[in-house]
Amino acid sequence: MNITMVKKIFADGSPCKKCAEVEEKMRAAGQLERIDQTIVADESNPQSPGMVLATEHGVDRAPFFVVERDGEPAQIYTVYFKFVKEVLDAETSEEEEIAEIMNDVDLDFL
Amino acid sequence: MSSITNIVDIDSELATQSPQEILRYALENFDNIAISFSGAEDVVLIDMAYKIRKDIQVFSLDTGRLHAQTYSFIEAVRNHYDIKIDLVMPEAAKVEKLVKEKGLFSFYQDDHKECCGVRKIAPLRKQLLTVDAWITGQRKDQSPGTRAAVPAMQDDKAFARPDDSLTKFNPLANWTSKQVWDYIRENNVPYNELHDEGYVSIGCEPCTRPTGPGQHEREGRWWWEEATMKECGLHAVNISK
Repeated sequence: MNITMVKKIFADGSPCKKCAEVEEKMRAAGQLERIDQTIVADESNPQSPGMVLATEHGVDRAPFFVVERDGEPAQIYTVYFKFVKEVLDAETSEEEEIAEIMNDVDLDFL
Repeated sequence: MSSITNIVDIDSELATQSPQEILRYALENFDNIAISFSGAEDVVLIDMAYKIRKDIQVFSLDTGRLHAQTYSFIEAVRNHYDIKIDLVMPEAAKVEKLVKEKGLFSFYQDDHKECCGVRKIAPLRKQLLTVDAWITGQRKDQSPGTRAAVPAMQDDKAFARPDDSLTKFNPLANWTSKQVWDYIRENNVPYNELHDEGYVSIGCEPCTRPTGPGQHEREGRWWWEEATMKECGLHAVNISK
């Protein structure tokens, strides 16, 4: 299994806050060691490795994870708690999962 | 159905179609599919869907903090179409804990996320575990900053069951507010009376207010919070070389 983490840099050069938070959470949980490589999606450069990978897999969120297993199509995870639960077999609390969803979902249509 | 390639291909095709055509596709391809009805102008989805299939599943999130007019409207819609509308409620213990610890209006001091997490997201997750697909009234024009890329159909990774997929349809994605209201008037669709009082976007009573001329509808929701750009999207920037 090969795991790639893609994190984002805004067009103005500043880092993505959510990507940094996820990375820190993974570091604290010892999960970063399970990541084979981390690449950057630079919004100012569509040819940056992360942007190319995002285009290739139709991803419009960051951070995201590409999980490759021999003989299987790559699996893409744009939701951190799903990634750690399903790929790293880690536990997450409902509160953490809801907090992550809250960051990504506009709620005015509900 | 759930592979990325399929979803992207079908979405490209649906993106050029009318809301009714998108709904027809959704309702014909998924038996276990539900419409999320907020009690606002997304009632058009119920009207359109009912004309395609009478046994539509509809649910509304009853946060316990909706306007009285919204409750009346949900009831009016239930009677008008003679359909069941599941009112999905938050877990009492979680609401009690939040209120006990932080009071009834903590969202004005903190932000709306904790309260919405308890009253909306947790019950929504539970509800969506029971379906294979859902339909929302999201439109691109509701929030040009954060919703500009709402697709007609998408793979909903956030709410999918573990190791399973959930498909989300947004049939109104490409419609404007004016098109929605033209449809409501032309088809005599019932609507929430709050709209006549200046409310455009309608949510919980403490977190919704009418908007004035020239104001965007999003200014009527969580207005005390600083408008911030969503950070999670990936937006390629055109750079002149």
